[in-house]
Amino acid sequence: MDRRAFGKKRWWELGYEMSELVRLTDITKVYQGGVTGALNGVSLAIEEGEFTAIMGPSGSGKSTLLNLVAGLDRPSSGSVTVAGSDLGRLSETGLARFRRDRIGFVFQFFHLLPNLTALENVLIPARLKSRVSAESAGRALMSRLGIGEVADRYPSRLSGGQQQRVAVARALINQPTLLLADEPTGALDTKSGDQVMALFAELHQEGQTIVLVTHDPKLATRYAARVISMLDGRVIDDARLETTERKPADVIRVRSEEPSR
Amino acid sequence: MTAILVKALADLRRRRVQAAVIFLTVLLAMATGTMALTLMSQTRDPYQAAFEAQKGAHLQVEFKASTDPQLLATTPAIIGASAAGGPYPATSLQFKHGGQSFYVQTFGRDSAGGDVEVLNVTAGHWPRANDEIVLTRSFAELNNVSIGDTIKVVSVPAQSTLKVVGEVVDIDEGSADLSSQHAWVLKGAVPALTTPGLSTYLMDYRFPADPTSSQLQGYVDRLRASLPPGSITASINYLLIRSIFNITNQIITGVLSAFSVFALAATIAIMATLVTGIVISAFREIGIMKAVGFTPAGVIGVFALQVIIPALAACLIGIPAGTILSQPLLANSSHALGLPYMPSFSLGLDLLLLVGGLVVVSLAATLPALRAGLLKPITAITIATAPRGRSGGWLRRQAARLRLPQPIVLGIGDAFARPLRAALTLVTVLLGVATVVVAIGLPRSFQLINNSETGAGNYQVVINRSNALPDAEVMRILNAQPETARVVALDGENIAVPGISDPVNSRIFRGDSSKLAYMVIAGRWFSGPGEVLAPAGFLHDTHLKIGDTFTGSLNGQALQLRVVGEVYDISNLGHELFMDYATLPPNTPNSDPSTYWVTLRPGSDLNAYIQRVAGTQPDLLDVHPNNTSLIGPVKIIDSVLLVLAVVLFLIGVGGIFNTLLLNTRERIQDTATLKAVGMSPRQVIVMVAASAGLLALVAGLMAMPVGLYLHHLLNDVVSTSTGNDTPPSVYDVFNLFELMAIPLLGVAVAIVASLLPGRWAARTNVIEVLHAE
Repeated sequence: MDRRAFGKKRWWELGYEMSELVRLTDITKVYQGGVTGALNGVSLAIEEGEFTAIMGPSGSGKSTLLNLVAGLDRPSSGSVTVAGSDLGRLSETGLARFRRDRIGFVFQFFHLLPNLTALENVLIPARLKSRVSAESAGRALMSRLGIGEVADRYPSRLSGGQQQRVAVARALINQPTLLLADEPTGALDTKSGDQVMALFAELHQEGQTIVLVTHDPKLATRYAARVISMLDGRVIDDARLETTERKPADVIRVRSEEPSR
Repeated sequence: MTAILVKALADLRRRRVQAAVIFLTVLLAMATGTMALTLMSQTRDPYQAAFEAQKGAHLQVEFKASTDPQLLATTPAIIGASAAGGPYPATSLQFKHGGQSFYVQTFGRDSAGGDVEVLNVTAGHWPRANDEIVLTRSFAELNNVSIGDTIKVVSVPAQSTLKVVGEVVDIDEGSADLSSQHAWVLKGAVPALTTPGLSTYLMDYRFPADPTSSQLQGYVDRLRASLPPGSITASINYLLIRSIFNITNQIITGVLSAFSVFALAATIAIMATLVTGIVISAFREIGIMKAVGFTPAGVIGVFALQVIIPALAACLIGIPAGTILSQPLLANSSHALGLPYMPSFSLGLDLLLLVGGLVVVSLAATLPALRAGLLKPITAITIATAPRGRSGGWLRRQAARLRLPQPIVLGIGDAFARPLRAALTLVTVLLGVATVVVAIGLPRSFQLINNSETGAGNYQVVINRSNALPDAEVMRILNAQPETARVVALDGENIAVPGISDPVNSRIFRGDSSKLAYMVIAGRWFSGPGEVLAPAGFLHDTHLKIGDTFTGSLNGQALQLRVVGEVYDISNLGHELFMDYATLPPNTPNSDPSTYWVTLRPGSDLNAYIQRVAGTQPDLLDVHPNNTSLIGPVKIIDSVLLVLAVVLFLIGVGGIFNTLLLNTRERIQDTATLKAVGMSPRQVIVMVAASAGLLALVAGLMAMPVGLYLHHLLNDVVSTSTGNDTPPSVYDVFNLFELMAIPLLGVAVAIVASLLPGRWAARTNVIEVLHAE
């Protein structure tokens, strides 16, 4: 399988076998009072090292899917397994630890704590894990992400792009198995959004497994190696990009469904 | 107006918990305030009304039995009295009833009526025969003596019996637990009941207008000047009686008033916190309200009404509740006055309280709501949330340096994120803890005073001697008992002192009285004849200080006395002298002690001792254990303090709860974010609890000195009202452990109060909150 080349050592060159990191089996999610489900019988697997974009219009269930993978929500039926852990068997405390140790989550609207400095925001997950020497790691991470100089500023004094990079740093501080991003560029201008996506691409090159939700097909096909399309709570398309030219016509579809009309 | 009310009611339904907090705190504050004001307004009049109805005597004077009654009959004209009663023959009567001995000053009087000092017969009838007696209702109730009971007179050799035929209320006497009581028989019965040398005459005087203290003193001086020397043995005036009567209610009213002001202040702080919190959390809503047409006044009205409505409901319940709760105390006063109890309250006062309460509540709610009214619509909509408090960063960094767990670090920072809210919360908790300190300390202080007054721990047996049994015989009996370790005998005399109109009651001790552990505030206990101690009231009124000498007069004989100490004693509101028996001139008539305080050796059987000694002279000796229990008024005050402590404590808990609720709701997005990045539900609860704990700790530490100061102050108020300075030991009722434990207990309570808001925060639905954009 060809992958895009980004100039760094690709994970497959290390001789690793791709292993399954996330498995969703027949997932259904119905909210209280809902007539139709947010998710209807979704099954898919995400492998380690993949950069997956989940795409679809508003209400398609993509964010719901992401929340289930993150352990922020529980399915009405079906199972979610991430890094070998069946999330359905975990208590609320167990899910919190799972999110702290295994997941890095980046929100559309950053969701930084306004009364903490940028560095303090980055360090929260580490300190929840009682990592007493995380400060130096936090500063190093921020420097790497190009925001080292704003470590002691409060979020209100940062640009949108800076805030989102702080959020990314927070998501990475505990070296998560899986990085999830829900419309990470939705609240950013084009330039800032490109910077953030370039960051994701760089992280993926280093082996980070990323799942990104977006409604922008251009963004999805430009950066992700796999694009899952959703509509009305179902996966209607699941394509891995095989060439370095990112043209939709070159997409080899793994699965396809005609959207119901 | 309708739109404002509709919006306010809708918001009130949404904020049910906070409405409940407002309702409860206002209810408690208004109830205690109403109690205080009702007592104040209703207790002043009944005494005066009863005094007028009974034509109370402004002045009562006792004269030696050798004074010519015809001369006494001319005394009203000498001092310008408009009415007079007497001269009534009087004697000191000792009788036994129910195994106990009692002393009452008994007067011969042929009817309860007259031009002055009308006695209100509340049960039974006035004596119709020489073997009948009436007692005060207060005495009868305190000592379980009923109409129809027979009492055995033991103060005279004949030991006759008298039948109790009636109970009266004498407006010129205090309650039996605070002052000695009188009894009445027919004039013809007095000679047979009189112990030689212990009889007197009593005259009652009433004046056209209520005389002042100095006028009363002038009357007594004029009597003294116009009668043979030493004729006057004692006198008492209506001002002193009224003070003694009102003292309990005055203390209770004072305490209630002070602490109801605290309760109101704490409630105002809670309301202000609540309204500011609601405004902060409803920024976007304010913008939308203004955009759709609410005026600034309308917006203010919406927020203010969310407090005023539950507060109004609380006032409508709390004011009647406070009025009802004051009734038992008023009934107690009416009963003591011999007045039929009628539920009494002032509707005007209650309405004034309602209006006043609503005005205060409205101000407390409206002022913080002004921010909402003045906010520009576009600002509110655009920003959508109020600027977050940034204070608390320093605290958070210090906590982080201490390597405290992250939830605790975040909670500590949150506690003071909004300084004004934190300050208001500190006020409510501070007042609660300070009141608890007073409620613990003051009863302990009263207990110490009670122990001093009753000799608790210093003597175990009290013996009263009939005049028919010689003092020497009593001493022989007591010294013959192997358990007797020490006997202090007590005589009472009335000594005339320059500067004080009434002869001063004096306690004359024989034996080692220094071991009785009276509270000596300054100077020392007397060590020989001529040395005296007195309370502050006496020293102040006579302009004497320790080291001064003065000349007293007893039975016309001069006594050279020197003040060696100041002692704490509430008898006669500080007009009392303490001295050694050897101070009395030789051959002072009727000066043999009649009361004996016996200290037993360790390990002695108290009951066996009492039975054995009483058995030696069953009719002439009254032997009983020393009664060290608290007097009724003190128990009432202790109960009131306990209620106040509970009220203020609950308000303090309400304040913490309210603040935590506001904080957790305001920071719901932050909590959701923290949960999303891995904070567990338990850690969320710990974070909220840390916030509560820190607020309570700071407030508790501040409250301790405030509470101790209040304890100090209230002790001084009580002491001053009884004519005393406060002994230092009375202030010092807390040990070091308690001084540390009380604030920590407050922290524990605050943490418990935080559990509910903490659990709500822990259950935050991350998705709903973070994706609600």
